Amino acid sequence: MSVPKLEQLSQSVVQGPSLAAGAIPTRDWMDIPVKFTPGSYAYVAKKDKVEYLNSQSGLSFPNAREWSPEDDDWKLPEGWKEIILKGLQERLGKFRSLKIFMDCCVRCGACADKCHFFLGTGDPKNMPVLRAELLRSVYRNDFTLGGKILGRMVGAREMTVSVLKEWFMYSYQCTECRRCSIFCPYGIDTAEITMMLRELLHLVGIGINWILEPVSNSNRTGNHMGLQPHTFKDNVEFLVEDVESLTGVKPDISFNRKGAEILFITPSADVFAEPGLYTAMGYLLLFEAIGLDYTWSTYASEGGNFGLFTNNEAMKKLNAKMYAEAERLGVKYIIGGECGHMWRVVHQYMETMNGPADFLEKPVSPITGTVFENAASSKMVHISEFTADLIKHGKLKFDKSRNSHIKATFHDSCNPARAMGLIDEPRYILDHVVDWVEMPENTIREQTFCCGSGTGLNTDEIMELRMRAGLPRANAVKYVHEKHGVNMLSCVCAIDRATLTSLNDYWTPEVGVCGVTELVANAIVQEDETRGELEEGLRTMVF
Amino acid sequence: MDIAEGFRFHGDKIVNRWVEYTLSTYTSSGFFLKERDKFANPVGGNFREGLQKLFLLLSKDADPQEFTAPLEQIISIRAVQEFTPGQAVAPLNAVKHIVREAFAADKERQHLVGELYDFEFSVDLAVIAAFDIYMQCRERLYQVRIAEIKSGNHILTDSKCPSSMLDGDNKKNIKTVNGI
Repeated sequence: MSVPKLEQLSQSVVQGPSLAAGAIPTRDWMDIPVKFTPGSYAYVAKKDKVEYLNSQSGLSFPNAREWSPEDDDWKLPEGWKEIILKGLQERLGKFRSLKIFMDCCVRCGACADKCHFFLGTGDPKNMPVLRAELLRSVYRNDFTLGGKILGRMVGAREMTVSVLKEWFMYSYQCTECRRCSIFCPYGIDTAEITMMLRELLHLVGIGINWILEPVSNSNRTGNHMGLQPHTFKDNVEFLVEDVESLTGVKPDISFNRKGAEILFITPSADVFAEPGLYTAMGYLLLFEAIGLDYTWSTYASEGGNFGLFTNNEAMKKLNAKMYAEAERLGVKYIIGGECGHMWRVVHQYMETMNGPADFLEKPVSPITGTVFENAASSKMVHISEFTADLIKHGKLKFDKSRNSHIKATFHDSCNPARAMGLIDEPRYILDHVVDWVEMPENTIREQTFCCGSGTGLNTDEIMELRMRAGLPRANAVKYVHEKHGVNMLSCVCAIDRATLTSLNDYWTPEVGVCGVTELVANAIVQEDETRGELEEGLRTMVF
Repeated sequence: MDIAEGFRFHGDKIVNRWVEYTLSTYTSSGFFLKERDKFANPVGGNFREGLQKLFLLLSKDADPQEFTAPLEQIISIRAVQEFTPGQAVAPLNAVKHIVREAFAADKERQHLVGELYDFEFSVDLAVIAAFDIYMQCRERLYQVRIAEIKSGNHILTDSKCPSSMLDGDNKKNIKTVNGI
């Protein structure tokens, strides 16, 4: 009796073919179409945003319209297939990496189980190798002799609407975190395949609002939030007041000041939303403590570059703004705040897109005299490199007990860790300012797990998807929380500060999120301070 | 041979089968089953750990309050995956059938099948508790969503781009707004 009962139970557990239902999948992955239901996709870009972007010089975002992924008809432009194939051909010629990545995969499967989307969903199309096959199959069909002759036998398939829909589904279930790429014996950067998929989709007007609106805002006012110069200035000034009321020290700040030695650029979220605000207060305190000659800019008021998540033209344009502003102000170099993908763009793409930034100087710390040789080309120094160097030279005084309310761990943000190798500097800083522990080895440093919501996927309509994708990271946080009593997850990325907050609120509500510079500023001791007991550091409410 | 001995004797086999069954509700169940590192395989690892703990509690007629921790470990994951509420909790029920199968196939312990009332009652209580936990997870998720919207990030998408004010009659507005 029990065996049939168990099978009956299985029928209610799973729908469709699966081992539990006693069936073996009978269809090839190519024959399983995607289905869009609420929560499975991010809202598409608003028509007016696409129109605006398409009207801007250097940018192309055609086919603005009202549409929904749930509709059968996606209102694609006439000749959409030719547009896609021509776009692919152009890119194969333009980007050597794409051509190599299309050809050299041997489907060894080393990447398959390294993706947080796969680990959280179990969906085979989230294996990086298969996500790449979505594009590679079309490449084979139209650009290789074998594919043209043998077709499906060699994994080739024709470009159809169904394929296009699949591209949309899975290129937006990849956060371009590049964890898979470190396991690939051929060094295939699957993130770049996702980038190409998204570029191709934009050619026919397929994109999401959570990305295109920040791009449009950045193009218009210089930052994701669409804050105009006076608002941006007001926000930073509020933070100055907060710092003063907490510590008795009033940071000296300036905006758009020509002749300043350094231009400071950070994600706008740091001056706008919690918990990034505390990190921004940290920057103010830190720079005040060392008397840095620097300026904020109300034009280059955004470190983040959502252009990276659309196409190379938008990425180039938004990146250029930072350097144009540095040149206009006549600064020597740029210090960049705790941001994720800004560093990827600066380290991996800036030089060929907008470089070389010859009008700037090789960065030298005015406090320690250290020459940042690693930034000789980009002319941009990461705040953690800069701070670690200050500590190394004994230029900062700390009282670690000011962080005694915190037991921290450190999340390596994907882009600083994997795209620029910023791994030991934040750890060196943490050693000096707070009691902290590492998460398990296979979840940190180069192997770090993504927050699950990067590349513009940090929107609330796909919250379940984000929680699934963030599970591998959250799982490690939960472990150190239970084992070591960790109550704070520190990181060096603004998107992380926002998304890990939501992730922890679901998986481990007892653990907060902060920037490394917030912890630095909590512990910093300054000469003229009149700071009382701040039980929660910069987060203490003072009345 | 008493039932406690039966659970001890078949325990590992039952838990393995239960884990296998639960993981077979995923398309890529092979990997979830094979990889034993909890950090490389959070779904498989947590399910194995949670079901192991839960089975021990169920088989010793423990206080249902104690079910919460292992259930949370499993249900918090299934509550955000693509399952209906029923599908999310149903694999818990499978242990009843798996235990019966295990005992029925063992000549020395066949008689224990008739003594499973207390165990099965505990499973029923666990399934009911799982529904509560499922709902708590969903409600927590809604709270996360609300907290995110309140944090101000919604301005990213809900604010109008200032450029939209530049056309037609709205030119007056922008002059007023900026005091030009």
